[in-house]
Parts: sequence; structure tokens; C-alpha cells
Amino acid sequence: MLQKKSTDNINNKLQLVMKSGKYTLGYKTVLRTLRNSKAKLVIISNNCPPLRKSEIEYYAMLAKVTVHHFHGNNVDLGTACGKYFRVCCLSIIDPGDSDIIKTTGEQ
Amino acid sequence: MVKFLKPGKAVILLQGRFAGRKAVIVRVFEEGTRDRPYGHCLVAGLAKYPKKVIRKDSAKKTAKKSRVKCFLKLVNFTHLMPTRYTLDVDLKEVASGPDALATRDKKVAACKTAKERLEERFKTGKNRWFFTKLRF
Repeated sequence: MLQKKSTDNINNKLQLVMKSGKYTLGYKTVLRTLRNSKAKLVIISNNCPPLRKSEIEYYAMLAKVTVHHFHGNNVDLGTACGKYFRVCCLSIIDPGDSDIIKTTGEQ
Repeated sequence: MVKFLKPGKAVILLQGRFAGRKAVIVRVFEEGTRDRPYGHCLVAGLAKYPKKVIRKDSAKKTAKKSRVKCFLKLVNFTHLMPTRYTLDVDLKEVASGPDALATRDKKVAACKTAKERLEERFKTGKNRWFFTKLRF
């Protein structure tokens, strides 16, 4: 029960970020934002290839950025972002009005 | 949110002739330059790793096996894999100015100084990870 609620929460927060904040979608741009230390939070879908997932996690470890493993595959993550394509990983640069960074940081 | 591509960081080259080689970042060009309008850095790396030295090697053999061939290269950030290791070798003279790699003889001179520094660091036995070949 509680898990359902937290995935809903993430989806809502993501929606708010899409509307009011800055973000990038996709592996290449996620690495780029991690390299130039603009990323504040990285979200990875659950069917991300394990090598790519490890690579993003390693970069995030170096940059001291939290990685959130989304409970859903890339199709679900794309839908959660309000897009009609698949999103394997995304990086939030500026959360806007959302408090997604604080809440996922605590978890 | 911490910048980690800083001078002294050990990286692994992913593309090019030196793919798979370990290198250390000497100088970072965050915003790029006119010729290279992308983030890149000057790295000094090991073209040829020092060979494995065993106890029964003579002094001459040890000296020969501890030699290192160095390379200097301007590499795009996307062609590097950063690691958690650092190598604090004083390579300031190598990264003298933006024209450290301009002419051939300047590049060769810079490579020579980098080679000396790396060799003396290898001989102290520190940063052992950096001087072992990455097996893949």
C-alpha cells in the first residue's frame, strides 16, 4: 500500500518538474549534466541496461548526486514525464516548484 | 553536484588510438576553445605501461622494465571515463599555456617532462593502480 503511494508521489513530483523546472532526458545528456555538475537528481528506469545503469551510478557517485531508481520501465518513465516516447534515464537540473530533490534525498 | 573532472583526476580513455589507457587530467577547458567548441581537457597518459618487475631482476633490468612511454592529448570529455582515483603529480610545466601542444617540438619537450614525472612516481611505488594495465 505504502509503495503504491510513493510511486504515485514520484509521478506527481515529476509532473511538476516537467511543468516548472529544468530537466534533460536521455543517457547522453544525463552524463553531460553530471560532468558539468548541473544535475541535481538522476532518475533511472528499471529496465535500463545494467552496464549503463552502473555507469550512471558511478558518475553520480563521483558528482555526489542522488540516483533514484524508478519503479517502472522506460515506457512508464516516459509516460510519467508526459512524453510519448521511452525515457531510460533523466536528469533534473532545476526542480522549479517541486520538492522532488528533498524527498528523494531523504529516502 | 561536485565537479570531478579536475586536474589530477585519473581517467581512462575510451576512444582513439589510446583507448583503454589510463591518463591523468592536466588541464581542463570547461567551455572549450575556438578550435574546439566543446568541453575537453589535456591529459597525460601512459602509451606504454611499465613492465612487471620481479625480485630476481638485476638493477639494469629493473631500470629497463620501469620505463614508461607517455602521451599528451586533448580529449573530449565524452571520450573519457573518470575514475575515483587521483594522481597528484606535478605536471604544471606540461600545461604551461594554451600553446603547450602547438608545435611538434614543444609537444615532444612536454612529453619528456611528463615521462620523467610519471616514471619517478612509478618508482616510489605509489598509485599502483594507475600504472597497471587495464585488462579488457
